[in-house]
Amino acid sequence: MIGLLAATVSFGTLLYLAALGELIAEKAGVLNLGVEGMMAMGAVSGFMVALESGNPWLALLVATAVGALVASVHGWFTVVLGAEQVVSGLSLTILGLGLSAFVGKNVVGRPSRAELAPVDWGPLTDIPWAGPVLFHQSPIVYLAVALGVAASFLLTRTRLGLALRAAGESASTTDAAGHSVVGLRLGAVATGGALAGMAGAYLTVSITPQWSEGVTAGRGWIAVALVIFGAWRPGRAAVGALLFGGMLALKTRLQTFGVDFSPILLSMLPYLLTIGVLVVISIRARHRPSSAPAALGLPYRREER
Amino acid sequence: MRRLVLERREQALRGGQPLAFVLGLVLAMVAGALLLLGSGNEPLAVFERMFESSVGDPEAWSLTLNRAVPLGLAGLAVAIAGAMGLWNIGAEGQILAGAMMAAWVARIGGDWPSALLIIGMLLAASVGGGLLALGPAVARAHIGVNEILTTLMLNEVALRLLQWLIHGPWKDPGSYGFPLAPMLPDGARLPGFFERAHLGVVVAGLVIAAFALVVSRTAWGYELRVAGSSGATARYAGISLQRKILTALVLSGAVAGLAGGIELSGTADRITEGISSGFGYAGIIVAALALMRPSGVAAVAVLFGAVQVGGMSIQTMGVSSSVSRILQAFILFGAIGAGVFSTYRLQLVPGRSGETGETGERGS
Repeated sequence: MIGLLAATVSFGTLLYLAALGELIAEKAGVLNLGVEGMMAMGAVSGFMVALESGNPWLALLVATAVGALVASVHGWFTVVLGAEQVVSGLSLTILGLGLSAFVGKNVVGRPSRAELAPVDWGPLTDIPWAGPVLFHQSPIVYLAVALGVAASFLLTRTRLGLALRAAGESASTTDAAGHSVVGLRLGAVATGGALAGMAGAYLTVSITPQWSEGVTAGRGWIAVALVIFGAWRPGRAAVGALLFGGMLALKTRLQTFGVDFSPILLSMLPYLLTIGVLVVISIRARHRPSSAPAALGLPYRREER
Repeated sequence: MRRLVLERREQALRGGQPLAFVLGLVLAMVAGALLLLGSGNEPLAVFERMFESSVGDPEAWSLTLNRAVPLGLAGLAVAIAGAMGLWNIGAEGQILAGAMMAAWVARIGGDWPSALLIIGMLLAASVGGGLLALGPAVARAHIGVNEILTTLMLNEVALRLLQWLIHGPWKDPGSYGFPLAPMLPDGARLPGFFERAHLGVVVAGLVIAAFALVVSRTAWGYELRVAGSSGATARYAGISLQRKILTALVLSGAVAGLAGGIELSGTADRITEGISSGFGYAGIIVAALALMRPSGVAAVAVLFGAVQVGGMSIQTMGVSSSVSRILQAFILFGAIGAGVFSTYRLQLVPGRSGETGETGERGS
């Protein structure tokens, strides 16, 4: 049971990092369906750096940079050139999955030699239940919590966050207010990619820890779902991440508990729940403003206002 | 200080889009060659092998056409929804749903006459794909739920359903515990067309041609396009938007489902979770490159089919087959990049921030 809860936290962290990144991009008005590809690129680059250098932090840093770089391709095409976000994002997923398989061909199955040691919280680790579950985790877990709080603060309490959300609600108004819509959106997309890359590296350096083609196994799509499930709020997304992370963790442990329910059917739940939330959001939106960014998916060109 | 800005052309360049497509192809090959060079491969040899194995002789062509079938139908599915201004990102799941329904018919109809069985499988496949699209269609038409997200989510649901069937109810007792569905009965196999191509090539060609005519030549297709370009105009003209959304999305799903049925009956021995190999997602790129026109979809699908067949052939040279996926994405990005210049041009303008250069246009 403790193992299950601990795995819930680490899977939840993985999903949360990627979802938080997608949330920031979507808040600025850019839907990026390339999460799975960005995550795969972060996973392969992080793993290779860890293998070469033996330094997990360097691996994480490189994966974050690679994620931002890959995302910037989407940013360039959608924000600067005004390409369809759906098409560009899906192409990014295909590109990321293909490129990661190509680059990582020779390191498939090699054992990682740079695992992240859990943070030592001293006496807190000895608390029954909470100790092993909350205080014996990879530093990435605590980093993700900090990033979530920071993102929430940034989005709701700062001028930059206000401008960023405005770019996702009404680009022309933001432009008229003197902010650079292109700059804000490019920054948000790159930040989103950075977090997806970090999530990928967390997977291959710490959770698995191995690289193989398709190691991301659709978790990028769960991250996209999570943003909706959390109604575009960092806090709610965190709750959703733990819920969905729990389902991922439970999937491999169902039989050991003697529960006669197919783990495969269980793994459908995140998507079905997300569809449910989406329907509820849409029904509510008839009576009050929707929580979805109004300009999500719309390119902005100044002369076409 | 002078800087470069993108400026809209007074008139889009004539023939700009096909030109952009060709440019995209060239850009993709250059980028792919650099990638191959960087990883210690001989780009020319790799490309030559890809070319030979996909369009070098009639047999190669037959393999390419087989591969173009699911790509073209998935692309058509996306284009049908696209004509209405909707995104069907769920072709992947609808292909799986179609394949599952076809496999189910093959299970119960093993002793039917072959023609009846195959027709039954393909019809059931269309129904399966249409059913999977029905939920998002109703939700979009009546509650306004974003169809991009619902269709995307259902892809994963359909995949899990297929995995569950293969690991559970449909598991072949004779498979020594491996999660494999039983082999299809012989009567379920689509007859050959030429070389290694199956009749699905003809079916897909006819379906694409039919939709190209319907969308461009009939009143229904016209209403669809009107509704797609402006909801308000459609309402003034008395076109029911809700019904149009429903039919467009469900038809789109049915076409994708058909692709799953043909893929199963034409190329597979049994249903597996890899029955689709990403055709639904590639179909979105195919449709985008074809500018959502059914007639263009067929041509782009053949090109992508060739790239995929070529990609599989280079594995024997020790090159990862993922090269084909990379090339497909490069083609798209190359074409978008090049396409921008048919409607925009780069202009050197004076001024540090560019504000002064653009104020003249803001009044227009």
